[in-house]
Amino acid sequence: MIYCLFAIVALISIYTVRHYGFTLNRLFGFQRHPYIDIDTAEWPKVTVLVAAHNEEKVITNILAALMAVNYPPEKMLVVPVNDRSTDRTREIIDKFSGEHPGRIHAFHRQGGKGGKAAALKDAMELVETEVILIFDADYIPGRGLIKQLVAPFFDPDVGGVMGRVVPLNVGTNLLTRLLDLERSGGYQVDQQARMNLRLVPQHGGTVAGVRLSALREIGGWNDNSLTEDTDLTFRLLLAGWKTVYQNRSECYEEVPETWPVRIKQIMRWAKGHNQALVAYGFHLLFGKHRATFRERTDGVLLLGVYAMAPLTMIGWLLTLALFYEGIAPLHGVIALLAFTAYAATGNFAAFFEIAAAARLDYTRQRICLLPFLVLGFGVSIFSVSRAVISQLMAPLTGAQFHWDKTERFRTTP
Amino acid sequence: MGQDRTLSDHAVNPPLAALVLVALAGAIFMLPLLPAIVELRLKRDAQPLNVIQQHAGEIRYFANGFRKVAVELQGPLRDCVALGTTAAGKLPDGDEYLLIGRVDKETWTRGGKPLAICRVVVAAGADAALPDGMTFVKEIYAAGQLIGGNGNTYRAILGEKDVRLQRTSKVTRWAHAVGAFRAEHDCDLYGRVSSDREIDLQSGCVFQRLNAPRISFGDAAADFGQVTSGAPDAVAGPQSSSAPAGRTLYDEDLDIPPGAVIPGSIVTRGKLRIGAGARVLGSAKSDSAMIVDAGACVEGSLISAATMHIGRDCRVGGPVVAERGIVVESGTRCGAIHAQTTVSAPTIEIEEGALVFGTLWARDEGRVVPKA
Repeated sequence: MIYCLFAIVALISIYTVRHYGFTLNRLFGFQRHPYIDIDTAEWPKVTVLVAAHNEEKVITNILAALMAVNYPPEKMLVVPVNDRSTDRTREIIDKFSGEHPGRIHAFHRQGGKGGKAAALKDAMELVETEVILIFDADYIPGRGLIKQLVAPFFDPDVGGVMGRVVPLNVGTNLLTRLLDLERSGGYQVDQQARMNLRLVPQHGGTVAGVRLSALREIGGWNDNSLTEDTDLTFRLLLAGWKTVYQNRSECYEEVPETWPVRIKQIMRWAKGHNQALVAYGFHLLFGKHRATFRERTDGVLLLGVYAMAPLTMIGWLLTLALFYEGIAPLHGVIALLAFTAYAATGNFAAFFEIAAAARLDYTRQRICLLPFLVLGFGVSIFSVSRAVISQLMAPLTGAQFHWDKTERFRTTP
Repeated sequence: MGQDRTLSDHAVNPPLAALVLVALAGAIFMLPLLPAIVELRLKRDAQPLNVIQQHAGEIRYFANGFRKVAVELQGPLRDCVALGTTAAGKLPDGDEYLLIGRVDKETWTRGGKPLAICRVVVAAGADAALPDGMTFVKEIYAAGQLIGGNGNTYRAILGEKDVRLQRTSKVTRWAHAVGAFRAEHDCDLYGRVSSDREIDLQSGCVFQRLNAPRISFGDAAADFGQVTSGAPDAVAGPQSSSAPAGRTLYDEDLDIPPGAVIPGSIVTRGKLRIGAGARVLGSAKSDSAMIVDAGACVEGSLISAATMHIGRDCRVGGPVVAERGIVVESGTRCGAIHAQTTVSAPTIEIEEGALVFGTLWARDEGRVVPKA
């Protein structure tokens, strides 16, 4: 029992060091934004896929925003991928399409397998361009975003591009404010540090791009994956393609406004991530491919992020059990020092990261909400653990993975 | 105290003491949450992050903003030109301005003495030549041609025709010329400099961000005609449907032999050397240093994760990006007049005789050096 606890503490310590390393890199290290200054070029043709499943509340905003970007209109085709919507999504898309002839080509999907990856896979029949950008329907791209996301593809080494996600409905309630802080830490510090350190920036599947030839090389979209973005990140990496993160390519999104929606979202992410861990983890670490040592290490740690929640819970249970068994994990002063040091630094690594992100974003008061993140942390750890348990039980219960769409809350058309 | 009999039995109320203890403990526990609760209730910082949505780094953003001010002054400025007079006033933001209908020696004197510092926004309605050694603290607008003086310092310049800065001038914020922009030797051009026609910088000039259909350094035009190697006037974007397909990935250093032709794109995890006169029909990327020897031609982009040295008389069609620094030698041409591009690195050293069509962006410092 005690050795299990040591192993869990060791794993948590590795993630602690990783988080601190990322934060210190963002605060004091060399920042890589190699493609952001490409503002003049012979821009290539690009297809923008907008994944939409019952998106009547938000689809108008993104289509209008895409029509207003500064990318040469004759070189950009918007393809709204209407995936079996039963609301007014189709009607709205068709109206827009009629108003912008030649610029929007609607793809209405009537049946087939559920999920975003399956919809994108089917929509590929309309894609003829080397560069593909992907947005979820609740995103609102800024005027210069398309050029910024296309620019990295001038690098023949780049297979995928990821921009920064910025919540729009920040002030709605405590949950949205906590998610705003989490997003800030995740992108402003975590993703950018991985870019700086040439590790594995993660493709997020929205505000993102992929090179058609790279996608074809890795076998296209994996419609068996619950998180096609994580799946894509690792298949690109294993095939020798780089995914780059563009921190200054920001795009607004809508974050969940209710806890049940948030729990569903994070459970889906956890299941998808763990799918990828099982599928690629071992091969990434030990297999023969072109990823560097640091990419292999960081990639596996990235894949293991959602496995840490149940492990942490097991660690808590083990600690309690050992306490009541009368077994001290360590002895005397060493125990005191070790646990004090861990409590003082280890537990707060993620919070430190978020605080640093708020500073880098030049925000001031929102950082006051940091103590409330314990709440978000608690909900996440239980939700992810629940997801993992249901995943482990699936072979016994016969439960099928299914894709849960994230509910929208926007009220303005 | 009750236990020690310091207080009498009647002075201690056990339930109250317990309540006070719980309340105090609760207060101490809640103390760190107080700022959080205040922020949650007051929503002082609950707006979405201010993502740059509109100007998106547009180089002419400040020039376009100042043009709106200039437009407001057009009426009185025309009157000044017609009458050959000057006029003063205040802008809505409180800045003072001076409208100049005709520039002569008296314009830049006060009480018979030459003016060293001009603290007002200046709008010249006709061609203007400025005296030497002056500092312009506010923006200058020139409806006609503007010729600066030696050693002048400008905050910002908007010229509707040509703008020419004399030796050792400084621009601290931005400059935009609708016509040609030319800076003589040893000028410091901080911030943004743009032209709708062309920019020409002489050796010793320092720059950060330049944008024009044609950017020349020193006597580029003279060298331009001497180049004999095949030069792409228009190239495709990143492996667009018309571009050569496929990339070849090398895990080590790579030397492309002189005169070789590479049909697609190449990516090396080590150093890359493109030999003299070699031709890459796609793009080239190196995770380490990159050297492009004289006369080589790359139809796509050139990307280096470290430093890049582009030799004499080379041709590059697409963007040129190096994460540490770029040296461009004389006779080299990046982009084409109908296929503009970007050259970007923290530091750029570019020799007289080189040509760039589009944008040149040195985050830390760009410098024009004499031809070796």
